[in-house]
Amino acid sequence: MVDRPEISDNGGDKYKYGFVTDIEAESVPCGLNEDIIRMISAKKNEPEWLLEKRLKAYRHWLTMVEPEWAKLSYDKVDYQSLQYYSAPVQKAKPKSLDEVDTKLLDTYNKLGIPLKEQEVLAGVAVDAVFDSVSVATTYRAKLAEKGVIFCSVSEAVQNHPDLVQKYLGSVVPYTDNFFACLNSAVFTDGSFVYIPKGVVCPMELSTYFRINAKNTGQFERTLIIAEDDAYVSYLEGCTAPQRDENQLHAAIVEIVVMNNAEVKYSTVQNWYPGDKEGKGGVYNFVTKRALCKGKNAKVSWTQVETGSAVTWKYPSCVLAGDNSSGEFYSVAITNNHQQADTGTKMIHLGKNTKSKIISKGISAGFSNQTYRGLVKVAKGADNARNYSQCDSLLIGSSCGSHTVPYVENANKSAVLEHEATTSKISEEQLFYCLQRGLTEEEAVGLIVNGFCKEVMQHLPMEFAIEAAKLINISLEGSVG
Amino acid sequence: MDFFVKNLWGEDIPSLAGLRDKGKISFAEQGFPTIKTEAWKYSYFQPEDLGILQADVSEHICGEDCHCHEKQDLPFDAYRLKICNGNVSGHHFDFPEGILVKSLAEAIYDGDVKNYLNKSFDMNLFPFAALNTAYLEQGLFVCVERGFCADKPIYLNYHNHAEKNIFCNIRNIFVVESDANIVLIEDFNSEKDGQYFCNTVNEIYIGRNAHFRHYKKQNESAKAHHIALNCVNVKQNGTYTSFCHQNECIFARNETYVKLLEEGAEAKVDAVYKLQNNGHSDITTNIRHLAEHTVSNQLVKGVLSGNSKGVFQGQIHIAPDAQKTQGYQLHQALLLSDDAVVDCKPELEIFADDVKCSHGATSGDLDKNQLFYMQSRGIPYDEAKQILIDAYLNEVYSHIADDEIRQWIQKK
Repeated sequence: MVDRPEISDNGGDKYKYGFVTDIEAESVPCGLNEDIIRMISAKKNEPEWLLEKRLKAYRHWLTMVEPEWAKLSYDKVDYQSLQYYSAPVQKAKPKSLDEVDTKLLDTYNKLGIPLKEQEVLAGVAVDAVFDSVSVATTYRAKLAEKGVIFCSVSEAVQNHPDLVQKYLGSVVPYTDNFFACLNSAVFTDGSFVYIPKGVVCPMELSTYFRINAKNTGQFERTLIIAEDDAYVSYLEGCTAPQRDENQLHAAIVEIVVMNNAEVKYSTVQNWYPGDKEGKGGVYNFVTKRALCKGKNAKVSWTQVETGSAVTWKYPSCVLAGDNSSGEFYSVAITNNHQQADTGTKMIHLGKNTKSKIISKGISAGFSNQTYRGLVKVAKGADNARNYSQCDSLLIGSSCGSHTVPYVENANKSAVLEHEATTSKISEEQLFYCLQRGLTEEEAVGLIVNGFCKEVMQHLPMEFAIEAAKLINISLEGSVG
Repeated sequence: MDFFVKNLWGEDIPSLAGLRDKGKISFAEQGFPTIKTEAWKYSYFQPEDLGILQADVSEHICGEDCHCHEKQDLPFDAYRLKICNGNVSGHHFDFPEGILVKSLAEAIYDGDVKNYLNKSFDMNLFPFAALNTAYLEQGLFVCVERGFCADKPIYLNYHNHAEKNIFCNIRNIFVVESDANIVLIEDFNSEKDGQYFCNTVNEIYIGRNAHFRHYKKQNESAKAHHIALNCVNVKQNGTYTSFCHQNECIFARNETYVKLLEEGAEAKVDAVYKLQNNGHSDITTNIRHLAEHTVSNQLVKGVLSGNSKGVFQGQIHIAPDAQKTQGYQLHQALLLSDDAVVDCKPELEIFADDVKCSHGATSGDLDKNQLFYMQSRGIPYDEAKQILIDAYLNEVYSHIADDEIRQWIQKK
C-alpha cells in the first residue's frame, strides 16, 4: 500500500521520514506584514481579541532583534521569504477519521502513526498537525466523557474561547523573546488540552507535527491546562521532509498546572537534521514553559532531541506554588553538522520547591552542542532544592561539547548542586564489547544507550523503544 | 571618557602614545560593562559609583600619621616592593642578581618589555584592561632569569592612604624564564576607609619548566572598587599556582585568564572570598587549554553574610586537538544571611574528545545536623558555626604550599 518514499537527497542518509506528500495545499503569499496576519486570522475565523493579540505581538516583534548569544552559527532566516500559512485542502472539517483525506492518512501511516489503528489498538489519542493545521484528532468522544478537552487550538478558540483567552500567553507572554513573539503573531495551530478538576486523563495524549510544504514556517502553539488534582501525560513527535533549504519551526508550548496536579510532557524530536555536509535541515527555535501555579503541582519535561539542523530550546519550569516540583530529563544527540543549544530553566519562587535536571549530551561528527541552563532561587523560596547533572559524551575529534549553567541563589536555606562531566567513550568499555563480538557501531550504540538510560526510563514505553532506535540511527556513520 | 587630567610619562614616545590611544578607543567602544555584557552580567556598576577620580601626583612624602613606609610586620622574609596610592615607590629594589626589577616606565625606556607589554590579551575583550592601557604608566617589570630559584618570595605591597578619591592604574609584567622558580605575594591594603578605584593588570609569562606561585590577599577599604586581571601564559611543563583571598570590598573582581600554550603546562587557580556587609566579590577564571597534555584545577569557596553578593564565573576552554587534557573546577558558596546572594556560572567549552573535564557548583547554608551535633556536645552555637566555616574554608587554604604564607593569609 505504501509506496517507496521519494527521497530528494541520495547522500545515503538514514532519515526515513524524508519523503514529501503530494497534496494540494492552500496557503497565503510569502512574506510577513499586518495583512498576512489579518489573512491568517480571517482564514481561521478568529475573534477580534485574538487578532488584536497577534497584531500587538507583530508590532512588538518589529522592534526586536534576533538573539545571538547562543553558541550557534547559521544563516539567518529571511522572514519575508517564508510562507506563514499552508494547509492541506479539505472539503469540510472532517467529523471522524473516515472523512480525512486518504493521502493524509497515508502520510501518517508511513510515519509509523497509523491514526486509525492507533484509535483501535494503541489507546493513545493523537492530534495530527500537518503544516499549519491540525488534520485529525482521535479519541475525542471517549475523552469528552471524562470532561477532558483535547482538540486543536483553532477549535478551542471557537468552542472554548474563555479558556483560551484566559490562559493563552499567560505563561509565555508575547514580549518573552524574539521567536516567541513571532509565534504569537503568526501561530497557526497546535494542540489544546484541558483536564478538569480531579480527572486523571485515561490515556496518553499525543501530537504529531509534520512539516510538508516547501518554504513554510511552522508556528504551532500548544496549551495544556491541568486543573486541581488532574493528571495528564502528553507526547509530542515531529518529522519533516528532506529538503535542501532550511525550514523554520518556531513553536510555543504553555503549560499551567494547578494544585496537586501533574503534567508529564515528553518529546521525541526528529526533524530533518540536514545531510552529511550540513545542507538543509530544520531550524528548531522553540519556547516551552510550564507554570506550576498551584501548591504541590508537578511538571516533568522529558526530551529526546535527535533531529534539527539547529536547535534552540529551553523547556522551563516556573515553580510558583509552594511545594511544587519540576523535572527535566534530556538526551540530545548531534551528528554531522548539527548544532544544538538546549537546556532548561528552573525558577524557584514558592517555598519548598524542588527541581531536578538530568541532561545527557552526545556529540559526534562535526556537531556542536551546548547545555545552557538556569537555576534561579528567589529570595522567598525557602528550602528550595535543586540537583543538576549534565554529562556529555564526545565521539570523534571534530565535535564540540559545551556546558553553560547559570546558578543564581538568593536564599540561604536553598540547597543547590550542579555537576557536569565531559569525556569520551571509555576505551575499556568499548574493548569489552568488541571482545564479546559486537561490532564497533553496535558497541557504541549500546554504550550510548546505557549512558542515556537515566533519561529514557522516564519516557512512556512506546516512545522509549522508538527513542532507543533513533539514537542508534542518529549515530550511524559516526564511528570508524 | 576622561577620568582625570594628568600628564602621563612618555607622551613623546610614539609607540607608547599610540598604544594608549588604542586603549582609549577600545574602552570608548566597549564602555562600562552592563548587565547585558555576558562576561560582566553579574558584576557591573555605574561609572557614577566611582565618583570623581583623581591621580595622585604628590611626591609621596607621607604625613606623620601614615605608616605607609614602615616595614609591615610579616611572619616571613621577603623581597619587598611597594606601590603607594597607585605609584611605584622607588627605593626597595635590593634584589639579588637573577631577579631584574624596574619600574614599568624604565623598562619601556630600556626596551625590555617590547615582547610582553599588551601581548597577553585582546583589549576588545577586557574593557578595564583597555582602560588600563589608556592610562598606562605606573607599574613594575620583574624578570626572573633563566634557572634562577629565588630563596624568598617577592612581597608586593599595594598601599592606599589617600584622602582623595584616587585612581590607581597599575600594570605589572612578570617574566619567569625557563627553569626559574619564584613566589609572588600581592598584598592590597589601605590605611583609611577611603574610596578609590584600583585597576590592575598583571601580565605573567612563564617559561619552559618554570614555576610561578602567585598569592594575593586583598584587604582593602570597604568603599574601594577593585578590578584585577591576571593574564598568564604558560609554556611547556611550566606551572602557575595561584591563590586569591578577597575580603569585604564594595566591588572586587579578580579575573584570571590563563593560556596553557604548550604540552605539560599546568594551572591551579584557587580562591576564597569572605563578605560580611555590602560587599561584592567576583572571581572570574578562564583557563584555555591550547595544547595536549595540559592540566588545570580550580577550587573556589565563598562565605557570604549581610547584604553581600558573591559571583563566580569560571570557564574551561579546550581547543581542538588539545587531547589528553584534564580540567577540574569546583565552586562552593555558603550563604549565612537572608539577604546574601550568590550567582555562578561554571562553564565548559570543549572542542576535543579525549579529555576529562568536570565542574561542580553548590550553594547552601551550614548543615543543621552538624551544628546540632556540636551544640549537643557543649559547643556554643556561634563557636560551632565558626568551626564549621573554618573547616569548610580550610580545604582551599590547605592548597597553599608555604606554611608561613598560609598562616599570614588566613589571619585577617
